[in-house]
Amino acid sequence: MLKTQEISINVGPQHPSTHGVFRIVLKLDGETIVDAEPVVGYLHRGIEKLAEDRTYTQVIPYTDRMDYLGAMSYNLGYVQAIEKLMGIEVPERAEFIRVIATELSRIASHHVFLASMCLDMGSYTGWMYPFRDRELVLELLEMLTGSRMTFSFMRIGGVADDLPEGFIEKTKQYLPKILEGVDEEEGLIAGNEIFIARTKGLATVSVEKALAWGWGGANLRASGYKFDLRKNRPYSVYDRFEFDIPTGANGDCWDRFYLRLAEIRQSVKIIEQALEMIPEGPIMAKVPKVIKPPVGEVYHEVEAPKGILGYYVVSDGSTKPYRMHVRRPSFINIGMLKELLIGTKLADFITIFASIDVVLGDVDC
Amino acid sequence: MNGMGLLKGLAITFKELWKKPVTLEYPEKKEKLPPRFHGSFTLYSEKCIACGLCQQACPNKVIKVGSIKDENNKRKLASYEMEMKYCLFCGLCVEACPTNALVFNQEYELAKYNVEDIKLTLFKKEQITTGEGSENV
Repeated sequence: MLKTQEISINVGPQHPSTHGVFRIVLKLDGETIVDAEPVVGYLHRGIEKLAEDRTYTQVIPYTDRMDYLGAMSYNLGYVQAIEKLMGIEVPERAEFIRVIATELSRIASHHVFLASMCLDMGSYTGWMYPFRDRELVLELLEMLTGSRMTFSFMRIGGVADDLPEGFIEKTKQYLPKILEGVDEEEGLIAGNEIFIARTKGLATVSVEKALAWGWGGANLRASGYKFDLRKNRPYSVYDRFEFDIPTGANGDCWDRFYLRLAEIRQSVKIIEQALEMIPEGPIMAKVPKVIKPPVGEVYHEVEAPKGILGYYVVSDGSTKPYRMHVRRPSFINIGMLKELLIGTKLADFITIFASIDVVLGDVDC
Repeated sequence: MNGMGLLKGLAITFKELWKKPVTLEYPEKKEKLPPRFHGSFTLYSEKCIACGLCQQACPNKVIKVGSIKDENNKRKLASYEMEMKYCLFCGLCVEACPTNALVFNQEYELAKYNVEDIKLTLFKKEQITTGEGSENV
C-alpha cells in the first residue's frame, strides 16, 4: 500500500495573489485542501484605538485607510454616525454630492475586484481593461476631492468642497465610457470558456449560510438574497433614486464576479439621476467649530462596496470619541474562507479568495 | 459552441489595436493635474499669523509652528516645519487656515533619498531667539 502524507504549505503574507499581506496555512492531501488556517493581522494599525486620541474631525482621514479602494463609503458611514449622534440635518446639495462621490468610489472598488480576480486567475488582459476604466473614475474623484484614493472628503455636517467647475459635464461625458468599458469587460471575460469553467459551481454559498456568517452586500446578493441597505433601509438621499438590486442565483464564484458587473451599471444609473436632480444650496450644515456630541452611543450602517459597514461610536461628551468600533465587511467576509476552502483543489484557492472581495486594510483595520 | 467566447474576447482586444494608447510616458510627459490636487505644501509666510490652528487640526501632529513676540507683543511666525513622513495629505490643515496662507501645490514627486530630507521646512527665521525668546504655540 502506498502511504500518503498530508503536507502543509504557507501562502503569504508576501504573495502576489493574496491582495496585500494576508497569510494562510493550507493543509493538503495531494491536491485537495483538507484544512486551512487564515492568519490575519499583518496590516493592523489599531485605527479604532487611534480614534480615541483624535478629535471627531481628525478621525475622518483614518476611516479612508480601512478600505482604501472604496474609501468614500467609509467616510460616509463615519460622518453619518456622528451626525446621527448630534442630530445634525445635512443640506440637500451636500447629500447629493455625497451620493455621487460614494457611487463613483463604489465603481472604482468594483473595477479593482474585477481586475484582481482576473489577474489572480492568470488573465493579464482582464486586469488591464477594468484598470483603464478605473482611471476615468479616479480622474473624476481627483477633480472633486484632490486625491485619487484616500479622499478625506466628507465632513461632519456636509462635504469639504463643492462640485468644481466643469465636473458635471465631465462626469456626463465619462459615464457612457464607463458603461462601454463594462460591456467590453463582460465580452472579454464573462464569455470566456476557461473563466466559466474555473468559476461556475465553485465555492457555492447558500442564502442561509451567507446570512448565518453575517455576509452582506454584493456577496450576499450573489447567493440570491435581495437585500441592499440603499433600498431596504435608505440613508442619505438614496430613497429618491430608481435603481435595481441585481442578484445572483447560486452564490458561486461566477455569481459573485458577474454581480459586480451588474452593480457598476446600477451605480452609473444612480449618478446619472443625481447629476440631474442636484439642487443649489449650501454644502455645510451649521455645525459648531468644536464638535462635542452629547453623551451617548450610536450605531450606523451603510452599504459599502464590500458589504455592510457599521460604525459604533460611544461619546462621553468630550471632543474625542470614547470608543469606536467598526464592523468591517471584509473581516466578516473572510470569516467563511476556511469553510469554503475545505474540499476544494489548491488551484481553486486563489479563485475563491479573490471572489469574496476582501481588502486587507479592511480586514485588519 | 465552445471557443466562441474566446473569439469574442479576441475581437475586443483586436479593436484596441487601432486606438490610441491609454498610458502616458511618465517621466517625459506628465498628466495635467486638477487645481484641487493634494500635493506638497506652499506657505505664504507674509500671510501667516502664527495662530497654530493648522497644528491643532492635524491628526498626526505633523506641523510645528514656531513663533516669537515682537516689540509690540504681537505674535509673529518664526519657523514652520512639517514632518512629511507622517502626513496623511487629508487637507485638514489647509482647511483650518484662516488666512489661506497654507495651500496645496502641484508637486507630487516627494520621494527622498535620505530620511532627513523628508522634513519640509517652509519657513525659518534666521535668528529665532531675538527679543523675548522663542516659543512654540
